[in-house]
Amino acid sequence: MNTDSRTIREPPRLLIPIEVLEGESISASLVEFLAPAEVVLLGYHDLPEQTPTEQASMQYEEKARTAIDDIADSFRGAGGNVETRIAFTHDRDQTVDRVAAEESVTGLLLPNPVGEIEEVIVPIRGAIDVDRLADLVATLLEDGSRRVTLWGLAEEGDEFDAEAAVEYTRNTLSERGLPDDQISTEVSVAESPVWDIIERSSEFDVIVMGEGGPGLLASLFGDPSERIAEGAVAPVLVVRNR
Amino acid sequence: MGTNDEAGGQNRAGDEPEEASTSGDGETTVTEEGSELERSIGLTGGLSIGIGTMIGAGIFVFPGLAAGDAGPAAAASFAIGAVIALLVALPASELATAMPKSGGGYYYISRALGTLPGAVVGISIWLGLVFATAFYLVSFGSYAAALLSEAGVDVAGLPIVGTLALLFGVVLTVVNLVGTENAAKLQNYVVGLLLTILVVFLSYGGLDVLGVFGSESTPEQFLPFGVMPVFTTAALVFTSYLGFAQVATVAGDIKDPGRNLPLAMVGSVLTVAVLYVATIFVATSAFGSGRLATFGETAMVEVARALVGDAGAMAILLGGLLATVSSANASVLSTSRAVFAVSKDALLPTIASRVNLQYGTPHIALSMAGGPVLVLVAFGRVEVLAEVASFLHLVMYGLMCVALIAMRRDEPEWYDPDFQVPAHRAVAGTGAVASFGLIAFMQRESQIIGVAIMIAAAGWYKYYAGDVRLKGAL
Repeated sequence: MNTDSRTIREPPRLLIPIEVLEGESISASLVEFLAPAEVVLLGYHDLPEQTPTEQASMQYEEKARTAIDDIADSFRGAGGNVETRIAFTHDRDQTVDRVAAEESVTGLLLPNPVGEIEEVIVPIRGAIDVDRLADLVATLLEDGSRRVTLWGLAEEGDEFDAEAAVEYTRNTLSERGLPDDQISTEVSVAESPVWDIIERSSEFDVIVMGEGGPGLLASLFGDPSERIAEGAVAPVLVVRNR
Repeated sequence: MGTNDEAGGQNRAGDEPEEASTSGDGETTVTEEGSELERSIGLTGGLSIGIGTMIGAGIFVFPGLAAGDAGPAAAASFAIGAVIALLVALPASELATAMPKSGGGYYYISRALGTLPGAVVGISIWLGLVFATAFYLVSFGSYAAALLSEAGVDVAGLPIVGTLALLFGVVLTVVNLVGTENAAKLQNYVVGLLLTILVVFLSYGGLDVLGVFGSESTPEQFLPFGVMPVFTTAALVFTSYLGFAQVATVAGDIKDPGRNLPLAMVGSVLTVAVLYVATIFVATSAFGSGRLATFGETAMVEVARALVGDAGAMAILLGGLLATVSSANASVLSTSRAVFAVSKDALLPTIASRVNLQYGTPHIALSMAGGPVLVLVAFGRVEVLAEVASFLHLVMYGLMCVALIAMRRDEPEWYDPDFQVPAHRAVAGTGAVASFGLIAFMQRESQIIGVAIMIAAAGWYKYYAGDVRLKGAL
């Protein structure tokens, strides 16, 4: 994509996993919002243990391919650069992780319904790959009509300096050429960042966040980003750690 | 792919074998159209399928029956079974790493030896697994009935074993038809729990009978009935070793198959073999084989009661329930995959491999597993069910060994196994002779049923799919 005045270091590349045979799709506004990035569409079908992947592929391969090609066409229609892959699996997470690594994507989309996209929120809760985040946000916001809010969340008694992290992210975004009037910042102290983010998600149209490290909570309840995607009303873009 | 023989021909319904030539690596298989098929079972999962299928029978069902037939030498019967299983597991591992596809033994035999042996094995292994599942379910019934009577429910005079087995067979079939997400993970924990119960119990029991805790028990004569019963008992208890080849039926789902398939197959045989021999040793030492035999299928419960008290009896009851359930469930799943592999090659109507739209499960293949099982459960004779299951599996095992020798001789271009059997002629040759040999020691009735099934399978092939060619097709 032409990035005009932007100085993007690496063009962002997004993985969009779609449970294609369940009729999952991507709304037109989201397609238009994501089209500036390179997109890898992964149509997957998560099978019960009783069904061999080969058996399902024999029966559903064509149907899956048609459905994913339709979605790819809508990205091409919006001027996007898109690749497609189809996978039959018993383990959705394993497949998504594998493809994300193989395609070395910047981030991946956890879809949720969304209308017009104007406001993007970036909750910052700890270590995040700011370069990748900035590449992604600056690219997606290049048409100038959308705004991003950088929201630092510190937990009480936390060593994490939310203020500094937000400031650093804002500077990096400016370096990438995003005009200052498109960026706003705030910082708050949170008891439970995941819940706070879910609660505020209705004020925004898209959430962009880091994947968060491994931890006890993550292994019990799933990644914070996945929990947020489940609770929030907005789609979540997860920036992968390198 | 670079073979001269392509799959071809038509069956009566006009279907041809589906040629799904695929490529891929340790993580995925890639179909001709470029779709990726994720491999999602690791080494633990593979071992758990193998051990989970096998352990139910050998520990929780056979000790009483086997000791009654062969005395303390039943331990030798289990050892003979282990040697045969290993002699087959090695060639099966090589074939599986060369052809890591769903279908297991049927697939290797049809590609190496041709369509007729393939069809006979494919259809009889479907029924062999049906017999095995019925056997596990009847055993489950015995344990469930024992649990009821332990709980004080008076079940004397009622056909409770068969009823419970039938009920549970229906439940199992329905659960599989609806489809499960995390049953495999659950199975891993169940197998882990079983192994823990057994290792604790056998260590304690072993020390006890060696006289560490109390008076040493009087050793019984090792061969009270002579040598012959050792072999007939080996033929009977071989059902305890049928699980390792089930790992190969899910080969298409195993991660890094070149490494994990051989490890899972050989590892699960070795694990259960050690436990079986130790169990027989402890059981016959605790009671003497004559008394042990009077307890029948749930003899281990009485052994545990004598050695550890009521808590031990409860642990073994629980273990028996879990083990027979996990064996039955693993076998239903393998059956459906075996049916799929055969119907994909147009040897059975292709409708059998259809996937249900609502639940996403292969409902017809699963019904072809569950339905006949219920009929056999009603028939209910444990020893015949077990022997027919072993008979049909042993035919496949023997032919797998022959298939290995044929593959090594022909060396088709695509044949490139990651794991190679050392001294393959000796290993596979002995494996084949031993597999076929063991059949000779079975009861006449089981042999007749087994042969009848194979003849019927050959007849079906001639009638339905006589033109289908599979040899050499990959």
